[in-house]
Amino acid sequence: MTTTLPPTITTAARAIDASKVYGEGEAAVRALDHITVEFEAGKYSAIMGPSGSGKSTLLHCLAGLDRVTSGQVFLGDLEIASMHEKELTKVRRDRIGFVFQAFNLIPTLNALENITLPMSLAGRKPDQQWLDTVIDTVGLRDRLKHRPSELSGGQQQRVAVARALASRPQIIFADEPTGNVDSRAGAEILGFMQRAVRDFGQTIVMVTHDPIAASYSDRVVILADGKIVDEIIEPTTDAVLDKMRALGA
Amino acid sequence: MWRVTIKYLAARKLRLLLTGIAVTLGVAFMAGTLTLTDTVQRTFDDLFANVNRGTDAVVRSKAALKSSQFGDSRPPVPESLLGQVRAVPGVAAAEGNVNVPYAQLVDSKGKAIGNPGQGAPSFGFVWSNNSKLNPFRLQPGSNPPRSDDQIVIDKKSADKGHLHVGQRTIVLSQQPSKKYTIVGIAKFGTVDSPAGASVVLYTTREAQRAAALPGKFTDISVVAAHGLSQDQVKANLQRALSSDPKIEVITGKQLTKENQDNIKKALGFFRTALLVFAAVSLLVGIFIIYNTFSIIVAQRSREMALLRAVGASRRQVLTSIVGESFAIGLIASAIGLVLGIALSTGLKQLLNVLGFDIPGGSVVVKPATVIISMLIGTIVTLLSAVLPARRAATIPPIAAMREVSFETTGHSARRSLIGALIVGVGAAILAFGLFTSPKNAISYVGFGALLVFIGVFVLGPVIAQPAARILGAPLPRLKGMTGVLARENAIRSPKRTARTAAALMIGVALVGFITIFAASAKKSFAAAITDQIKVDYIITTGRNFGGSGLSPALAERIAKLPAIEAVTPIRIGPASVNGTVTGVATVKPTAAATMFDFNFTRGSIASLTSNGVAVSKSYADKHHLSLGDPLPVKFSSGRTVPLKVEGIYKRTELAGTFLVSLDNYAKNESQQFQLDFQVFAKLKPGVSAAEGSKEITPLLKHYPTAKLQDQAQYKNEQVSSINQVLNLVYALLFLAILIALIGIANTLALSIYERTRELGLLRAVGMTRSQVRSSVRWEAAIIALFGTVLGLAIALSFGFSVFLALKNEGFSKFSAAPGQLLVIVILSAIAGVVAAIFPARRAAKLDILKAIATE
Repeated sequence: MTTTLPPTITTAARAIDASKVYGEGEAAVRALDHITVEFEAGKYSAIMGPSGSGKSTLLHCLAGLDRVTSGQVFLGDLEIASMHEKELTKVRRDRIGFVFQAFNLIPTLNALENITLPMSLAGRKPDQQWLDTVIDTVGLRDRLKHRPSELSGGQQQRVAVARALASRPQIIFADEPTGNVDSRAGAEILGFMQRAVRDFGQTIVMVTHDPIAASYSDRVVILADGKIVDEIIEPTTDAVLDKMRALGA
Repeated sequence: MWRVTIKYLAARKLRLLLTGIAVTLGVAFMAGTLTLTDTVQRTFDDLFANVNRGTDAVVRSKAALKSSQFGDSRPPVPESLLGQVRAVPGVAAAEGNVNVPYAQLVDSKGKAIGNPGQGAPSFGFVWSNNSKLNPFRLQPGSNPPRSDDQIVIDKKSADKGHLHVGQRTIVLSQQPSKKYTIVGIAKFGTVDSPAGASVVLYTTREAQRAAALPGKFTDISVVAAHGLSQDQVKANLQRALSSDPKIEVITGKQLTKENQDNIKKALGFFRTALLVFAAVSLLVGIFIIYNTFSIIVAQRSREMALLRAVGASRRQVLTSIVGESFAIGLIASAIGLVLGIALSTGLKQLLNVLGFDIPGGSVVVKPATVIISMLIGTIVTLLSAVLPARRAATIPPIAAMREVSFETTGHSARRSLIGALIVGVGAAILAFGLFTSPKNAISYVGFGALLVFIGVFVLGPVIAQPAARILGAPLPRLKGMTGVLARENAIRSPKRTARTAAALMIGVALVGFITIFAASAKKSFAAAITDQIKVDYIITTGRNFGGSGLSPALAERIAKLPAIEAVTPIRIGPASVNGTVTGVATVKPTAAATMFDFNFTRGSIASLTSNGVAVSKSYADKHHLSLGDPLPVKFSSGRTVPLKVEGIYKRTELAGTFLVSLDNYAKNESQQFQLDFQVFAKLKPGVSAAEGSKEITPLLKHYPTAKLQDQAQYKNEQVSSINQVLNLVYALLFLAILIALIGIANTLALSIYERTRELGLLRAVGMTRSQVRSSVRWEAAIIALFGTVLGLAIALSFGFSVFLALKNEGFSKFSAAPGQLLVIVILSAIAGVVAAIFPARRAAKLDILKAIATE
């Protein structure tokens, strides 16, 4: 959007002149086209855009799940685009929380084990007080020993949110977190995420195509054809709808 | 529908490969065995046909004793018979043969030629001047033996011992050893030696002397006059010799058939033994294929349902799966067949290395081999896929709309009941075979064991979950979350885990059983030696099989040494008692009385006379014999001697069932059984072992095959000879284990394919690649350990049952071989981890984005 800014502590994630190209030559598809964007710490940001706009690719690249073809990606002050797979895995484990649209949980582990999974993988003990706070916030106290197959879709997503929060990551990436649940459960989950930002100072970046979901955020970044085309601060559902309609999506 | 099948096969090359290997290896083993034995048989068939080509008839005495263990014993015929035979009309020529049962060549360095420990035997024959009757062909520069100190030797021994024409060398026989001049080197037909045996060819008189058969022939070979058939000359001979009822005449063709049948019998045993191991490999293969198809059907259930929804009939779904298995079976069997044929040449080399020389010749692949291999391989594959295919056919079309269904947990009362029932019936049949010793006891034991395996296989899913939980219990503490995931993954599909483990269970059960059996046998044997023998020296040939032993002259010479108080040889030969041909052992009673303790309940060794026989207590009890009862014994010479029971003893490990005095034995057993199996010696009181050895050792220089041992060394050697057999069995079972490990790899690969999403998620939230690999490896280790524990449990119960069954037959001590079993447990866990290498790598390399991408 603007020219390169010096890294500041208030920036949780940044992409600088980032491009992602799939395929080669004639068949090459440019999913991200020299994007420069930053997401503030302690804020709830949303990425929107029509299908194929590159919004998921941007999220994956910021989260260290995918690599940019050129450009730089920072997580806080860490440059992650050039990291080795091993370091990157540790970054995801220790600094990032994830909420996906579906298949968020390991079926062989119970809810509590799923919540503490990243810390268990790191061999760390969770902060019990914080864990209790998170569990009570998402209202899962009486479901902790249940396996995912014994939980409803909404409950499963709440476990996923709890897992993302439990390790107090620098940033949480959410990829269509309400895509697979009914609107009531969706509103609940979005509410939890909003509280996490407002009450606990968590940073969240969320990809969504739902204007209602986007309206929970502090700022919406809109992508089209791999470029950032617009942004809305303090979005409302209608404002988002208008902008999206303007893009023909 | 066929197109769907073919498409699937093409799309799943790896799965196809892994499934196919399970069949291929078993079929290769089978085809290899069949090809090898057919090839060897054909080679010997040709060899004998060629060698006996000039012989039209053979005159010999009728068999006095027929024994599968010792062969047929025929008394010799008098020299005078040759003149009679020659006078029969139609006989163009006749020659007397003398078989010298032991003629050990010694090379220029004083060492016995060949491998007396385990090599082919060493024989002597008469050099026949009639080229039609002589299968040996002199090599250039050779002459036939013309005097009693001249010999011709086979080319193989000449090459091996670096012996050449004109050289003088020692030949050991039952008579004192003697030096000869080698005047010729000969080939046996077209090969260097008959089946690798070393052969010495003497003049007639010298052969008679070496065989201790002066004035006698083993048999007489006849050439018919021109224009006379074999049957005609045989008829003439029978008519002319009819006055002697002990003489028989056979044609050259019958002789060839006899020779060929002997080989067939020997090979038949070898063939059956190898085929049993091939069958075990195939059985393990069945489990693997069954498991693979079960998993495939579960994974494809949505797709099957879709096919059903768009109109495929149940039959079509069934046919598509069965068709897939048929194609796999056919291809895998064909590859196995080719591999087996290639393998047979390798096995032949192995036999050569072991000293069993097989003359060269092209590989014989009989049509039967091809048909049997293809048929069994394909049928086995088809059968293993039928149940999963039926399950696939029952998937309702509505399942297409549901989420992919996981397999059921496998807990069911019906399953437990059926499994327990099969195990029970199997155990009962096994016990029946072991304890009541019916006819074909081995078949009962084998079938019972098979049922036990199947029963445990059925029970597997019921016990898999608790067992894997227990086996994996330490993992969470050891490996944290990685360990938890490994354990949970091993538990999540109990049927799959159980089926995979069952394949390994079979191999481990057999390895474990053999290990326990061997350990118990060693312990029993060692105890038998310690309890029953008190001597200072034992002289052996180190030979475990084959027809030779030590020259009796050696024992006589040792007995004369000043340091020695007592000496006795042990010899073993055939005899017929109460109409049953069995082995009879002999010792020198007075000497043996000071050395052996066979636990005589009546009489003693010392009181055994040349008119008596001592029998084992179990035989005496069975036939209600007591001291002084008559017990006529027919020896291999053909004489029936009216012996009396003079002793009854309990311990049979060394003495066997019947024991006679040495002079009795020497008088009545044929010459070929008059070699000393082992010689036992005791020092005079006050003489040190060093002094004794100093006297004996120089003597042994003349007997290069003799090996001097004290009792401890003897015990170690006897016990360690069991290890050789054990190692061979291990090697043969290795294939079954290998197939089971491929099964583990296959199951894991399929499971990982199914868990793509889950693995993607784990990687996304921070599981490192090495953690993923470690988790898959530990899962494999749990499965492998589960199979091993099941297998060892079966092994222990089989082992203990066999011990109980054989307790009174020398199998006096049981050893669970805890050390070796622990090694097996550790090795199989490691093997499981090795099997997981490939699936683990695949799991770790998984593309996170593809895995978590939602549509």
